[in-house]
Amino acid sequence: MKTIILGVGNSILSDDGVGIHVANQLKQKINNPNITIDEALTGGMNLLDLLLGYDKAIIIDAVKIDNGEEGEVKRISLSKFSTMHSCNPHDVSLIEAIQMAEKLGETRIPKEIIVIGITMKKLPCEFGENLSEKIAMAVPKAVEITLNEIKK
Amino acid sequence: METITIDPITRLEGHGKISIFLDTKGDVANAYLQIPELRGFERFSQGRRAEDMPQITSRICGVCPVAHHFASTKALDAAFNVDPPSAAKKLRELMYCGYYIYDHILHFYYLGGPDFVVGPDAPAAKRNILGVIEKAGVEIGKEVIKHRAYGQKITAILGGKATHPVCGLPGGVSKGLNKDEVKNIETMGKSCVEFAKFSLKLFDDIVLKNKDYVDLILSDPYTLKTYNMGLVDKNNKVNFYDGKIRVTDQKGGEHIKFDGKDYFKIIDEHVEEWSYIKFTYLKDIGWKGFKDGKDSGIYRVGPLGRLNAAEGMATTLADKEYKRFFETLGGKAVNSTLAFHWARLIELLYATERVMELIKDPEITSTKIRNPVGEPGEGIGVTEAARGTLIHHYKLDKDGLIDKANLIVATTNNAGAINMSVRNAAQGIIKKGKVNDGLLNMVEMAFRAYDPCFACATHTLPGGMPLEVNIYDENKRLYKKLRRNL
Repeated sequence: MKTIILGVGNSILSDDGVGIHVANQLKQKINNPNITIDEALTGGMNLLDLLLGYDKAIIIDAVKIDNGEEGEVKRISLSKFSTMHSCNPHDVSLIEAIQMAEKLGETRIPKEIIVIGITMKKLPCEFGENLSEKIAMAVPKAVEITLNEIKK
Repeated sequence: METITIDPITRLEGHGKISIFLDTKGDVANAYLQIPELRGFERFSQGRRAEDMPQITSRICGVCPVAHHFASTKALDAAFNVDPPSAAKKLRELMYCGYYIYDHILHFYYLGGPDFVVGPDAPAAKRNILGVIEKAGVEIGKEVIKHRAYGQKITAILGGKATHPVCGLPGGVSKGLNKDEVKNIETMGKSCVEFAKFSLKLFDDIVLKNKDYVDLILSDPYTLKTYNMGLVDKNNKVNFYDGKIRVTDQKGGEHIKFDGKDYFKIIDEHVEEWSYIKFTYLKDIGWKGFKDGKDSGIYRVGPLGRLNAAEGMATTLADKEYKRFFETLGGKAVNSTLAFHWARLIELLYATERVMELIKDPEITSTKIRNPVGEPGEGIGVTEAARGTLIHHYKLDKDGLIDKANLIVATTNNAGAINMSVRNAAQGIIKKGKVNDGLLNMVEMAFRAYDPCFACATHTLPGGMPLEVNIYDENKRLYKKLRRNL
């Protein structure tokens, strides 16, 4: 089984880049030819392009919330995901991209797509390369949850 | 006074927000599109190595990484006082055309097109790419996907990665093309020319042969008589990568033509308290509020702005379409906002033809692709992003580190006009406080035509199209809320 782990976000927009920070840590911990770890500053169609051909995809991304605690890590299956990060203001959402690909007979869509979301309230963020304290504290949690996810 | 707020905007991922203010009669007094801006870029770039800027700025926007990448690279050419070899310029332009191919296809078929192909009054759930495929057929859907991917591939072959180009260096590019890559691009380019021709025919059949659509395009709420701006080559033909900035008036006459490096002499910025965006306008005409006409300095950029600001396209087929465009829509300038869509397809055809010209150029495989840089100084780089004129301006210190950075992005150049288009569309549709769901799409169509790029990395789009309308009473108390897919 081939798995891709994708850190999604913008590394120059501080907390927005948390997914990439998590992916970088995972690169130190995972050494398995069947698992690819990559990063992406994109959503929708481009994001789908990166997932094609894998059996399972794990997307690690910042998730905006209105209520609740910041810096929590949530495991969400794509079908339950109502909002999807994309830095791309004129792309379609990943869900729309998948629906379209299915309609056009695409067979390489991963059977399972999981989102590991790190919650935050303030988006968009200011320019910066460092994470805020609360979000930085969520990184090890997100790493752990992702590692558990690939053990399944 | 009542306020209607539309937030966030359908299909444009970002936090753009529209507020419509009604007068006591319930008619539209004013409308504003609020675009949040990412803050702190100047501070963020200060002290960085100048040569990192093409990589950094390409991360500002997930839509226009290539446009930022090369506006930045061109600013560095100027700042390091170096002129790239001719082969390097051609490689940059070739990559740029790849970006136009995927970007314009994406906009027409996924974002702007559904309003026409499926219909402006179709239910929101159908007015998307899935609806387009349903109407046009699965085979066409496959062609759309294929050619968008070709644009991406052409960009990726030249740029390293399509989404994070790494090829632009002051004085040239880091990578040339080998013979296999040339062959590959040529095959894809040929297919793209045919697809662009097909797209124009589709527009012809579905839009131009439908009197209702043509009437809609030419209707008052979607008409705006502003100045137009775009890069042109030495023959005043549209150019995406290089040339001088030309501004034409409401009748298509040349108002001014200038070097990008003089932008601050020509363009000024106006600030409104309700928006982070600075509204640009022509200095010599002045800021006269959100008004069109020759006495107001507001101008438009992007596909329609470029076609109006030029005197033709530099390739044969696109030039023919260019002429037909103006003949059909009543001569110069075309002031119909919805004509942006047609203009975009003409540019798509030009981009594909230009790919074929460049890829057949014997110089394209040259290995002389970089010239040595000079001493660091100040530099301004201008390119045409798919959605309009983009300016990067850097001041370097003696060690080649960034001292100051200023960017004027396409959507900023269009911000004044977008606001007016939204207001005009709302005025045409909301009367005596009567608001319905159909209104939302008519207002959205007004700014979707511009393909605005809201501060990128703003977030979250549900699977459908999220839309929120808040209606406030005259005391600004919320009394009604319409929501869709939220």
